[in-house]
Amino acid sequence: MKKSTRKALAGVLVIAAGVGFLIYRGIATTSAYYLTVAELTGAVAGPRVAEGDYVRVGGEVVDGTIDYDQKDLVLRFALRDLEGSEQTVAVRYDGPKPDAFAPDIEVLAEGTFARAEGLFRAQNLLVKCPSKYQSEQEK
Amino acid sequence: MVIFGTLSQYAALAFSLGTMVCLLLGVMRNDARWTQAGRRCLVSVTACTTLASIALGYLFLSDSFQVEYVASYSDRALPIFYKLTAFWAGQKGSLLVWAWVLALCSALVVYNNRREPDSRLTPYVYLVLGGTLSFFLYLLCAVTSPFEALAFTPQDGQGLNPMLQNPGMVFHPPTLFLGYIGFTIPFAYAIAAMVTGTTDASWIKKTRAWNVLSWIFLTVGIILGCQWAYVELGWGGYWAWDPVENASFIPWLVSTAFIHTAIIQERRGIMKVWNMVLILLTFLLCIFGTYLVRSGVLQSVHDFGATGLGGYFLAFLGIATVGGVYLLAESYGEFKTSNALESYLSRESTFLFNNVILLALAFATLLGTIFPLISEAVTGNKITVGQPFFNQVNTPLFLLLLAITGVCPLIGWRKASPANLRKNFLRPALSALATGGALFAAGVRVPSALLAFILAAFVAGTIVQEYVLVVLSRGAVTGEATWSAAPRLLWRMRRRYGGHLVHLGLVLTVVGITGSSAYKIEAQGTLAKGESLGIGTYELKYEDFRQYQKFNRTVYAATLGISKGGTRLGALDAERRYYVNAKQPTTEVSLRSTLWEDLYVTMPGIGSNGDITLKVAVNPLLLWFWIGGGLMVVGGVLAIIPPRKRKTP
Repeated sequence: MKKSTRKALAGVLVIAAGVGFLIYRGIATTSAYYLTVAELTGAVAGPRVAEGDYVRVGGEVVDGTIDYDQKDLVLRFALRDLEGSEQTVAVRYDGPKPDAFAPDIEVLAEGTFARAEGLFRAQNLLVKCPSKYQSEQEK
Repeated sequence: MVIFGTLSQYAALAFSLGTMVCLLLGVMRNDARWTQAGRRCLVSVTACTTLASIALGYLFLSDSFQVEYVASYSDRALPIFYKLTAFWAGQKGSLLVWAWVLALCSALVVYNNRREPDSRLTPYVYLVLGGTLSFFLYLLCAVTSPFEALAFTPQDGQGLNPMLQNPGMVFHPPTLFLGYIGFTIPFAYAIAAMVTGTTDASWIKKTRAWNVLSWIFLTVGIILGCQWAYVELGWGGYWAWDPVENASFIPWLVSTAFIHTAIIQERRGIMKVWNMVLILLTFLLCIFGTYLVRSGVLQSVHDFGATGLGGYFLAFLGIATVGGVYLLAESYGEFKTSNALESYLSRESTFLFNNVILLALAFATLLGTIFPLISEAVTGNKITVGQPFFNQVNTPLFLLLLAITGVCPLIGWRKASPANLRKNFLRPALSALATGGALFAAGVRVPSALLAFILAAFVAGTIVQEYVLVVLSRGAVTGEATWSAAPRLLWRMRRRYGGHLVHLGLVLTVVGITGSSAYKIEAQGTLAKGESLGIGTYELKYEDFRQYQKFNRTVYAATLGISKGGTRLGALDAERRYYVNAKQPTTEVSLRSTLWEDLYVTMPGIGSNGDITLKVAVNPLLLWFWIGGGLMVVGGVLAIIPPRKRKTP
């Protein structure tokens, strides 16, 4: 192995180590559990989440629970478990209602769960944007 | 028409399987007649997929709602332009587009090789293309056919999601596909080179245009996706590190790395194995990206529905991976080069570092994207990493990459001397320092933003310096005036300066990203008629409210008077639209773009009393992101315009 090749290799290794560290730190500081509604409410055993931990929860919007305050942009609704359990959880999101937000649609909410109030405060709301959508006439 | 389309698909599948059979026989028996038959089959696939595509287009235009796919993505009220583009709004049509374009590209490859009928590489190239086509056509015929008919004919279709009724969205999927598909051809050539033991750079030379062209399409596709997210989704940003976005970004990174090291192989004959690895990776990541989007394994804002295609894609991915790795291991000995790096202070080694960084970016992005899957496999719980992860990990890497972009042209091939370094680095370094000082004085204090701007100035400095020096020295030699020498040189040495333009485009996109992410301001408020909302130096006054019908939608529009520092600049309409057939109103984004900043307005609420709720943002320097992206594309195109043919004596 030539000296220059060794040097280049050493440089690559240094960079790789740096990248490894960046990734490790990134995961350590930004990872969040993904929970189902039933795991969040504690009906099903899931990962141990401390009060106030930032988590993601996926569920379906329960029909008839959507309450949107257009003036102050506060959206309240209930999420139903996707895995077929009857569990629901109340969610509050401060922000504009996304266009694709509708009853029975799948939503991914990110935020913290206040167990005492039974309220999930979402800081982020991801709505599945369906490329297909059912029209009114089909009901 | 339905039957015609279905038959065309089946015929295409038969021909693509025929291609494989004939070519296998041809290479095993070393019989040119079989290989010729295989080539003809491949061209027939092109003809059949073209017929199938015409059939589907016709079904859309004629509102044939007995076809399930047409009924799901179109309706009578849809403007004709969108009726045609609904062709690829869903998965089935996308697959057909995929097969069709790949077949067209294959025909082009056949045409380009018409003068070398007995080249050793081409049978294997066609074999790989035929195999890939067979896979897509099998999916179309047996698993998910766009020509599937319903048991009844509905009165009207379900229409196209209003979010997709946007010109940017129309061209975003096909350009991305073109990028993905284009890499099949270099991949096929690489496989052929390994099978035949062709160790020279001929496969790279032959596929250079395909590489760069695919890269251009990938770039355009990604930018259009960003543009669509920005003007249609209304959350004020253009990139969210969503799995689907990442799926297109990862192959882009790896292919960028490949374009760079391919140059080294052409010039110095080294890095042969490495290039094989990169092109295999690029192709596999394109397929993997499609798998991610089409399988529903990840929670994403784009939900194309888990349609059970994931398994097929995984199987294809597995076969391609195993085959590629096996061939690589087999031919490793033949491709190993003795030509090692001569100096770590050389252009080759900066290319090597650029590769390491690009691959690190790709790896980190991939890891973050599939992290929930990994964590579930290991710990049983799904752990996700969000946007902060990508920003934390990728930002420093990107800045490093930018620094290398600047350093690279300053360092000569093989080995650089300290004197030449001092001479080359002085001016760009000064321009970077001056920029940094000026920005600091102007109050820019965010460290990462300051660093990004300084590096941007440095890279721009190196590019401008190099060009100016060349133009001046040419002028000194030929006595030509600078104003005519400058563009002529740009044109004459377009391969090189095309590359430099791409780098300049990269610099501008960095400026746009930095400005809009570090200095974004947001505000929201509810206004009665006559009231105003202030943001930054802007003042938005609610002046008027209208309601009207247009095509297939009802529009509610609020007119906002915009003034800055007391002077009125004009008016902007904030809109909400109700489309026929849609349950939900759609928010439209209103923009006022200048080179300095974007004013971004959405109207998420309209009260019954006529009050409106506005969400407003100011995104500084964002326009430069689009300008930079455009420049990257222009540079890429410039770099592949072929040199003028010299008459061979």
